[in-house]
Amino acid sequence: MKRVKVKLPSKRMVIRERKKKPKIQKCAICKKPLHGIPKLRATELKKLAKSEKRVERPYGGYLCSKCVREIMRERARKIA
Amino acid sequence: MPIEVGRVCLKIAGREAGRYCVVLKKIDDNFVLITGPKLLTGVRRKKCNIQHLEPLPFVIEVKEEASDEEVIAAYEKANLIRKLNLKKPSAAQLKAEKEKVKEKEVEKKTEKKKEGRKKKK
Repeated sequence: MKRVKVKLPSKRMVIRERKKKPKIQKCAICKKPLHGIPKLRATELKKLAKSEKRVERPYGGYLCSKCVREIMRERARKIA
Repeated sequence: MPIEVGRVCLKIAGREAGRYCVVLKKIDDNFVLITGPKLLTGVRRKKCNIQHLEPLPFVIEVKEEASDEEVIAAYEKANLIRKLNLKKPSAAQLKAEKEKVKEKEVEKKTEKKKEGRKKKK
């Protein structure tokens, strides 16, 4: 938990505990935010089922859709 | 490498990214009917946008909208199964697939009958 100083209406300063805000998951290559991945802290992520934590696609929760397309295009060109 | 009937492509987007498929029919300049077939490469028969496909330099002789068995036979003739190291589905799997298709058709007919009855009431 993060400790935060809060000023009350009675002008008194109090230390309150706030949850830390989680970061958005980013694509490993282009560092753009990933779609379809919930923004939760590790403890909350644990409760979710595996299918809620990633996208149904090769490199699902790891790469964004554009990077997957480029990788697959290179793979296809290598076969030729 | 134009996208035409019989062209073997690699699906580069969606759940089946990285899997092989064959073009069966050109619907219009954006969409194409493809099939894996499902038992061979895991891509089922459906409409697909050509932007989600990357053509490969292989073409197999297949007539338009051919059945999955014909497509598998064409794969074999072009000995692509070994080249793309795919696993040929066993005869038992092919039979099971046929039954499933029949069941779906039977279900559709019964649904039509039910709809017919509702209208009469």
